[in-house]
Formats: sequence, structure tokens, C-alpha cells
Amino acid sequence: MILRLGPSMFCASVLALTCACEILPASEARPAVLTNPTAQTRAELSRVVSEALHGAPVRLAEDALAHDSVLIIGRVQARDAAGLPLNGRELDKPQHFRLVEHAARCFLIQESTGKRWRLRSATCAPAPGSASG
Amino acid sequence: MDSLRSSTLIRPVCMAAILLGLSACGGGGGSGGGSGGPPGGGNGWVMGVYPPSAHFAAQCQSPRSGTDPVTGRPYPDVQGTTLDENNWLRSWTNELYLWYREVPDVDPATYPATANYFAILKTSATTSTGHPKDRFHFTYLTAQWEQLSQAGVDIGYGVTWDLQVPAPPRQVYAAYVWPGYAAAAANIMRGAKILNVDGVDMINASDSASLNTLNQGLFPSNAGESHTFTLQDQGSSTSRMVTLQAQTVTETPVPIVTTIPTPTGPVGYILFNRHIATAEGELYNAINQLHAANVTDLVLDLRYNGGGFLDIASELAYMIAGPGPTAGATFDQQTFNDKNPSTNPVTGQPLTPTPFHNTSQGLSSSPPLGTSLPTLALPRVFVLTGSGTCSASEAVMNGLNGVNVQVIQIGSITCGKPYGFYPQDNCGTTYFSIEFQGNNAKGFGNYPDGFSPQNSITPTSAVLPGCSVADDFAHALGDQAEGRLAAALGDRAGQACPSPPTGIAPQLHAVEHAAVHQPPWRENRIMRR
Repeated sequence: MILRLGPSMFCASVLALTCACEILPASEARPAVLTNPTAQTRAELSRVVSEALHGAPVRLAEDALAHDSVLIIGRVQARDAAGLPLNGRELDKPQHFRLVEHAARCFLIQESTGKRWRLRSATCAPAPGSASG
Repeated sequence: MDSLRSSTLIRPVCMAAILLGLSACGGGGGSGGGSGGPPGGGNGWVMGVYPPSAHFAAQCQSPRSGTDPVTGRPYPDVQGTTLDENNWLRSWTNELYLWYREVPDVDPATYPATANYFAILKTSATTSTGHPKDRFHFTYLTAQWEQLSQAGVDIGYGVTWDLQVPAPPRQVYAAYVWPGYAAAAANIMRGAKILNVDGVDMINASDSASLNTLNQGLFPSNAGESHTFTLQDQGSSTSRMVTLQAQTVTETPVPIVTTIPTPTGPVGYILFNRHIATAEGELYNAINQLHAANVTDLVLDLRYNGGGFLDIASELAYMIAGPGPTAGATFDQQTFNDKNPSTNPVTGQPLTPTPFHNTSQGLSSSPPLGTSLPTLALPRVFVLTGSGTCSASEAVMNGLNGVNVQVIQIGSITCGKPYGFYPQDNCGTTYFSIEFQGNNAKGFGNYPDGFSPQNSITPTSAVLPGCSVADDFAHALGDQAEGRLAAALGDRAGQACPSPPTGIAPQLHAVEHAAVHQPPWRENRIMRR
């Protein structure tokens, strides 16, 4: 997995957490995947992503972030009466979230804003092939 | 309400209001009057005079409260009236609708239902083949439009349904089965014909209760739901019964990439089903794979691809054509109405063309944003099409044509949607009204009836070289014996086209006036008579 963190993550060696009020040394954060995600983990992940997106309901896969450190969120595919996408020429971009691990704690980072949340119920491990920083 | 007049692809998971009759609103003016009144009615309406839409925006019969999840700010709604909402629609349409000159100016006070007023705010013109010029005029509840999902994730069984004949006697088939989900576990394969769902006759049922049952079975709304299907497998003379439990499914948008050896060199085959974000990485890998295999031709299967991100269409077209013909060229140029010749009226940005992207645009998690894309640099491409080939998929075909990469079309007529929208919320309803047309490097984008292979029985105005070939449910997609793929390989080898299918009307989707106000599982998606 290739690490592609937002610039804000690297602009300081120490960054304050948005929600958890903990310190995440950016240089030591590594892309991560969830290990053994439980229903509680998935619920927390869903809640955090929804919160990041102003409360819109979000549908996630059972194995979200279990194999890939990046979570891509877009609109539910709405279709017309013929079964075709209502908007077949989408011009915007999806939202990306990235899971990182530091000191056995898991953090979700919204790439477009640099905001981050600690996932308290989650356990995670470095994503395969990832490197620090 | 009529049935769909076309072969209709239904995704498993569909947010679709598939089939006929979308119950709520639309339909062209049921409760509203209609034919316009004298200029200068007592409500302030003056024919031909359009105040700015901003004057009426967010003045709602039923204002919302709370926070808009799109903006993160409180909804702007204030107490207004239906007339205010109609006035907003009238002015907004006049400002942005591509064919605003062809919209009748009807007194908004004569329509007590906003949905019915919206339904008439469109052109009534027809195309050269007699079909409605505007078949894409929708509304959607904003709260539903704003629902979010992980890319490619939905609820279903892992099967793509195809309504070959959507009205009784109906024909519904499994078109593509995704590995790893309930349908595959039940040994459902492409071509399986659905006979019965939860005790309701799929072929002949027509009452509302039965239609609801069929819809709920085909398009479950919650993981864990179980539904019982009676189906007939392809080639079998007997039926069997299976129970499928709905689950969260994740679609692989590029599920098949393979190389077919031929005496004149290896031919690549790509099945590309949706322009979703994760397709960027999968297409990148697919082209790398085929490049390494030194393919000399490509068969691109878009028969079930209804579009999505235009940037992905551009990337794919670049990877097929290579840098030679695409350098500095336009992939797609938006054209708005004549009030907006040089500026995008929605974004306020200058109108600049979408180029052929030669680097990744960062939609998927890999490759990283800005990665140089691999290319096949082919002078031609065989594209397998059907009525579900739409929007961004058609843009791939049109974009390549624009830079003189030959597009050889094998299959049936595409959907005909060179248009786009910027969906707009007002008072809790999101409106889709055609705002722009996409044109290629040659300035061509006039395919409102779709692209048709040259030997089609009923060709459209946009004819491409190739062969009209029906979908072949007797063979798996990617199988060299599958009818459309076989015809492509045959054409490549200099063989004549198979006889074109007859008795099939142009496969245009009948979605005019459609309004999608309910989640699909609550709609009469299937067959209303």
C-alpha cells in the first residue's frame, strides 16, 4: 500500500487530535488496516465517517479498512427508472479517509480536511507494504 | 403507465427505480392545469419575464430544519409557498436548462403540485428518430440523494439482473454473477431466467401487491433479508428453487481482464461495469496487464456500464489511444445553453475542456495521484455495447472517435445520453434538469438516440462501424464463444457480421418525467401495467 497522506499531516511533527485530544506524532504514523473488526468497531467507524461528513448516513462494507488503509466514500448510486445511474457523468471527487496506526492506537484521517479521529474500539496493524511516515 | 420499452439492466443492489412507473410525481401535469394563462396573471407572473432564481430559492412550503450534511450548515429554508417553489423552478430552468428556449412559459400558479410543474419544464421536441429529445428529467428526495456509501458497496445478492422484456410476459435474467456472494453460492449463473419470486409469478404478475413482492425480492433493502426464487438455468428444461439472503456486497468494477491468442496477435478483453472510484486502480492494472501481454487489439465490454466519473472515462480513453493522438486534445467539452458560452454557470469557472488524462486523478487508493498512466496506443478499439451503455461509457466512445481512434461497435444501440446535470436541491427536492452536452474534439456530441452499429435494423443518427448482435446469455462474459465477443473477433478476422437481430425496437429507456421519490425498494419498479 502506498502512503498518500495529506500535506497537513506533515506540516508539523506533532499534531493535535480533533476529537480525542491526544497527540499523534505524524512522522511515526503508519498506514494501517483494521484487525478483527467487531460490530462495535464498524459502528464506530460508521459514526465517525458520518460525523466527518456532517451527519449524512453512510453504508460501509463489512470488511471496510480490513484490507486497505484507504476508505473511499461517495454517494449511494441512485438510478433512474431504467436502472441507469441518474448522473452518469459525475464531475466531482469522492471523499478519502485513511487509517493510520501509532503506538497501538488507530486513527482515521479525512484527507480533504486533515481532520483525524481516534477509533477507540478498533485494533489495527500496519498495512502490508507500508512504511513509517 | 406503460412498461419500459427496452432491455433494462438491473443491478443487484440497485438504487433503481427500475421499471415503470415511478409512483410519485412526474407524469406531466396531472393535477395542474396547464396550458398557460394570459400574460400578467394576478400572482405576479408575466410571460417571458424571469426574475433571478435566487429571488425564490429556499422559500419552501415545508421548510427543513437542522443541518445540511452537504454543507455542514443549517438548511437555508424559510417559510414560503408552493408558488415560490414553482417560481424558483421556472427561473432556474430558464437560467440553466440546455434547451430553455423550448420550454413553455406556463403560469406557475396554475400548478398546485411542484412536481407536476417541474415535469412540464422541459422540451417536448423529438429527435430525428421520433423519440423524446429529453428523456432525463428527474427529481429525487434530497435526503436520499445525499446518502453515502463506500465505493461500490450496496445491499444485494451479488448478481446483476437484466430485464430483457420488462412487461408481461416478462423476461428477467441473471446477467452477471459476482463471485463470493449469495447468488454465486447458490450456483446461479449468467443466463438463469427468473420465474418466480417469493411465490409471485415473475412472468405474468401485474397487480401492485405482486409487483411489490417482486421488487422486494429482486432489490432487498436490508442485509439479512431472505427471498425465495424459482429459476431456470440456461440450457435446462427444468426449474429449481433457491433462497438467497441479502448481504452487503462490494462490486469489482473491472472483474475480467484477459488476453485472447489469435493468429494475428493477442487480443485484450476488459469487462468494465461501472465508472466508480475503485475502477481507476483496476483499469490501471488492467492496461498494465494487457500492455505486458503485447496485445494488438482490445475488446472493451461496456454493455452493462451506465457511466460514473467522467475523469475515469478520460483516463481509460487515454490508456487505449496513447499520447500520440491525445496530446493536447479535448476528451470532452461541456456546452451549456447560449446564455453561458464561455463560463460554467454553476461553478463560475471558465469553460475548459476535459483533456485526455495522462496521469491518475486520485479517485482510487492506488495508483497515487499524478501517476503516469500506461497505454496500449491502439488505432482502434472494439466496444461491446447494449442499452445499458450510457453516459461516461458513451463518452469513452465519443472521445476516442474525436481523435480518430476507430471505434467498432458490437452489440445493440447505446442509451443516448451525451448530457449532464449539476443536481440542485431546493426545499428538500433535488432536481435533475439537463444543463450541458458533452462534445468530443471534433465538436460532436449529437447522439441523443445512442450509437448504433452500422447494420442495425433501426439505426440512429450516430452510426459506427460494427455489428448489431444480441446479448448472449448462453455463454459467460469473456468467453470467446459469447455472441458479442465472437462477433468482435470475427470482424477483426475479416468475417462478415452475423445477421442482425430483428424485431427489437431501438433500446431507448423510457424514463421521461421520471421522479424517484422513494428508495427503489419502495417503488413500483417492476411492472405497472
